[in-house]
Amino acid sequence: MVGGVLPPTETSNPTWTVEFADVRTYVARRLLQAIPTLLGVTIFSFALTRLAPGDPVQLMTFDPKMTVKSREILRHQLCLDRTTVEQYFIWLLGSQECNTRGLIRGDFGDSLYDKRPALDMILERVPATLELTGTALLIGILIGLGIGIYSAAKHGTLFDSLSRIFAVIGQAIPTFWLGLIMILVFAVILRWLPVGGRYTLSIEGTKNFFDHLKHLMMPAFVLALFWIAILSRYMRTEMLEVIRQDYMRAARAKGVPKRKVYFRHGARNALIPFITILGPAIAGLLSGAVIVERIFSWPGMGRLAIDAVFQRDFPLVMATVMIGAVLVIGGNLLSDILYGAVDPRIRLN
Amino acid sequence: MKSLPKFTLALGLLALAAFAIAACTPQEVQVVQTAIVEVEREVQVTVVVEPTSVPPQQGGTIITSSFADPTIFNPILWNDSPSATVSGLLFLSLVDQEPFTGELVGEIASGWEVSEDGLTYTFTLRDDIEWSDGTPLTANDFKFSYDAIASELVETARKSNIELVDNIELIDDHTVAVTFSEVDCTALGNFTLGMMPSHMYAADFTDIMDSPENTAPSVVSGQFAFQEWVPDDHVTLVRNDNFVDGAPNADGWIYRIFADESAELAALLAGETDVTGVGAQFVSTIEGRIASGDPLDIFKFFDDGYNWIAMNQANPDNPQNGFEDLNEDGAYTEGEPLLPQDPHPILGDPAVRQAISHAVDVQGIVNKVAFGQGAQIPSNVLPAIGWAFDNTLQPYEYDLEKAEAILEEAGWVKGSDGVRRKDGQRLALTLETNAGNETRENIIVLVQDTLNGIGFDITAQAVDFSSMIGELLGQTFDMILLGWTGKGSDPDDVGLWEYRFDTVGSGFNFTSYYNEEMEAIGQAAKTLPGCDPSERAEMYADTQRMLHDDAPYVFLYNPLANVIWNTRVEGIDPGPWRLWYDVQDWTISP
Repeated sequence: MVGGVLPPTETSNPTWTVEFADVRTYVARRLLQAIPTLLGVTIFSFALTRLAPGDPVQLMTFDPKMTVKSREILRHQLCLDRTTVEQYFIWLLGSQECNTRGLIRGDFGDSLYDKRPALDMILERVPATLELTGTALLIGILIGLGIGIYSAAKHGTLFDSLSRIFAVIGQAIPTFWLGLIMILVFAVILRWLPVGGRYTLSIEGTKNFFDHLKHLMMPAFVLALFWIAILSRYMRTEMLEVIRQDYMRAARAKGVPKRKVYFRHGARNALIPFITILGPAIAGLLSGAVIVERIFSWPGMGRLAIDAVFQRDFPLVMATVMIGAVLVIGGNLLSDILYGAVDPRIRLN
Repeated sequence: MKSLPKFTLALGLLALAAFAIAACTPQEVQVVQTAIVEVEREVQVTVVVEPTSVPPQQGGTIITSSFADPTIFNPILWNDSPSATVSGLLFLSLVDQEPFTGELVGEIASGWEVSEDGLTYTFTLRDDIEWSDGTPLTANDFKFSYDAIASELVETARKSNIELVDNIELIDDHTVAVTFSEVDCTALGNFTLGMMPSHMYAADFTDIMDSPENTAPSVVSGQFAFQEWVPDDHVTLVRNDNFVDGAPNADGWIYRIFADESAELAALLAGETDVTGVGAQFVSTIEGRIASGDPLDIFKFFDDGYNWIAMNQANPDNPQNGFEDLNEDGAYTEGEPLLPQDPHPILGDPAVRQAISHAVDVQGIVNKVAFGQGAQIPSNVLPAIGWAFDNTLQPYEYDLEKAEAILEEAGWVKGSDGVRRKDGQRLALTLETNAGNETRENIIVLVQDTLNGIGFDITAQAVDFSSMIGELLGQTFDMILLGWTGKGSDPDDVGLWEYRFDTVGSGFNFTSYYNEEMEAIGQAAKTLPGCDPSERAEMYADTQRMLHDDAPYVFLYNPLANVIWNTRVEGIDPGPWRLWYDVQDWTISP
C-alpha cells in the first residue's frame, strides 16, 4: 500500500523480475518456517488456557439449583473430563465423539456457550473490526505522515510546535475518556451523531451509506487520533534525519523543486522505520480497537476475545489466539517484503 | 532562545487540558438515605374505563438495551439472562411468575391438579394456542422439550430441571401428567422454561444441538417472532400476528447491545432506546433528568437476590467433602453419613463470625457504595417473598463495641501489633471478590477498614471471576463477597446449607455449614405434603433465625433494581418479577 504511493525509481525496474523470483522463494521459505512456530503457539497457548485457574463448567453451572450429577454429565458431554493432553489432541486432530473435526481440518471447535463454531463467530465480527481499524489506520497514515513530513520541513515554526503538542496530547488522552466525552457532546447534547452501533436499527433493516458513515465517524476519529499522534512524531523525527543528508542538499543544488525533493528523495528514505511499525499495526488491525469498540458499541472482534477469556470459553480463546498468531506472522512478513520494495538496497535472504 | 516560548505554550495547553479534565469529573452524587425494608404492596384498584372506540396506536418499534449479548435462543439451552429475555418473548412456558407477586401461575397451562401423595401434577393446557406457522401447540411439545433436556445428546445446564421427574405421560393433546420421584414444594419452578416446537426438530433429539432454530428460530409461540441477530450489536423481533392473546400493537422489538454501561445510559438520554435498567450509580442522574422534565419514567423494585460475604467454617488448607464418600463416586449418595470437618482456625469459631456480622456497617455500605439502592437483610429469605419472610427478625446491629466484646470474651486478645490472637493464632484473614465489579471492590475495602480497626488483619483482594469461583467451590478461601440473583419466589435454598451439598469443587454449601436441626426443618419445609404456605412459613421463620445466629454468611443487602422508560412508550406496567409480560398491549407514540 505504501510502496504504491511512490513510483518505482528507474534503477529498480530492470532487476524487478529477478527480485520477484527472490521474493517468491523468500515468502515460501518464511511460510514453511511459520508451521513449527504455529505448532509451538498451539501447544503453549493450549497449555496456558488449561493450566490457568478457572473452569468453564463451574461458570456455566454456577447456580445453587444445579446438582453435582448434572454438572458432571455436562462436563463429560463437553469432553472437559479428559486430560489436558487428550484434549489437545482432540482439538488438533478431531474426534467424532467430541463433535469436532480438529484444527488440521479447519475446525476450531464449537464455543462452549454459544454452541456454534468458534471460527464462524470470529468471521462474522471481522468485517466490522476491519472497517473501523482500517479506516482509522488509513486516516492515521495519511494525516500522520503528512503532518510529520510538513512539520519536519517547517522545522521550528509554530506549525511544528503545535503538531508536537498535538502528538503528545493525542497519545496521552485516554481513549475511553475522549470517546465518552464525544458521545456526551455530539450524541446526547447536540444529537448530531448516534451514540453507537454500526447503523440505525429498524425492523425494515434498511441500511444506507450516509447513515453508516455517521456511525463510523466518531469511533474512527478517536482511533485515528492515536495513529496520527504516533505516526506524525515518528515521521517528523525520521524526516529531520534525512533532511540533513548530503543527497538532499545535492538534489536541491541540482535545482529539483523542493516538494519533489521532500517526497521523492526524503520521505521515501524516511519510510523505512515507519514500515517497522506497520507490520505490528496490521496484526493489530483485528485487536487494536477493543476499547473503542466497547465505548461505541461497535460489533467487532475486541469484545468477543475478552469475554471468551473471562468465561474460559476454551475453543473460542484458542481460535482467537491462532488467528492472532497468523496475523502477527503475516504482518511481519509483509513489512519485511515492504522493506525491499521501499529500499532496493535491502535484499531479502 | 527559541525553545522557551514553545515550552510556555506547551505548559499552557497542558494546563488547559487539565482544567478540561477536572471540569468533567463527576459531580458529588447525592446519597439517598432511605432504606425501606418492607416491600411495597400492590394495591388492587378497580378503574372504570369508559368504553372507547379508538383502537390503540399501532406500529412503532420498542427498543431496549443490555450490556451483554445473548448467546442462543433455544429455550432449553440458554444459560444467561440476555438469552432468557429474548427467549421469553419468543416462547411461552407452561407456567411463569405473576408479575407482581412472583407466584407461579399458568401460562400455557390453564390449570393443574396435584395428586394426594403430592407426587403427580396433572396439567391442563390451553387449547387455543398455535405456533406462528399455524400448527397447534400441544402437550406433546411439552413432553418433547423436557425429554430433550434429559437426553444424553443434549448438552445443557438445565439437567437439574428434570432430575426429580420420574415420568411425563401424555393423557391427551392438552393434558399431561408429570410424576416426581419425591415430594417437592418447588417442583413447579422447573417448568418455567419455554417450550420448543417439537415439529421443527427430529423426534430422537439428534439435531437439537446443531439446529439452525437455535440461532434463528423460525417458529415461535410468544408475542414476537425472530427476524435478525447481529452478534454484539442487536436482535430484531417482529410482531407475531398469531400470538394467542392478540398481536402486539408495536411492529417490532429491538434488543440493542452496548458493551459499556455509560454508553447504554447515553443512548437512553439521547432518545435512541426506549426501555432499560441502569446501575445504582446512575439512578440519581435519571431522577434528576425526570425532575427537570425529561420524558422518562422510573420504576424501582427489590431484586430477587442479595449480596453476602461467605465465611468458610472448614480449614481452607484441607478442603473436605461434608459426607463420608463410602462408595467413592465423588458425590453424595443417599445414606452417606456426615463427615466432621477440620475446622477453620479462625472462622470455625462462631463468635468470630458473629463479631464480623456486628462489625460490618451494612447500611453505611448501601449508602456509600450502592448509592442508597438497597436494604439490609437479616437472613436468607427476602422481604419480597412476603409470606415466608420473618419480619420480626432484626439484622445484626452495627456495633463495634459489641463486636470487640464478643471477641474478647471468646479469648481473642490484642497483641502488641494491634492484631488479636488466641492460642498463637493471629486474627488474619483474606477477603476476596471479583475484579471489575466496582461496587464489590469498594465494599471489601470498607469491610477491611472496619475489621482492621477492631483487631483483625484483613487482606482484601479482587481476583478474576473465574478464579474466584474456583476458590469458592474448591473451598480454599477464608471470606468471599458475592451475591445471589434470580432466587425466585420460593424461599427454599437447602442446596446452600446441607452437608450433602458440601462437595469440594462443585457443591454450593461451600462454607461447610452444618446444623442438624436447621437441616431437618429445611427439608420438612421443602417436602411438606400439600405445601401449605402458612405451615411452611413457620418452618422458614425457624431456619431464618438459625442462619442469622449461626452466621455462615454476613447477610448484606437486597439490591434495589430499576426499569426506566421513555414516556413515548405507553401501557408499560412493570412488576418486580416481570417486565415484558404485557408487551403486546404497549403502544409507542410516534
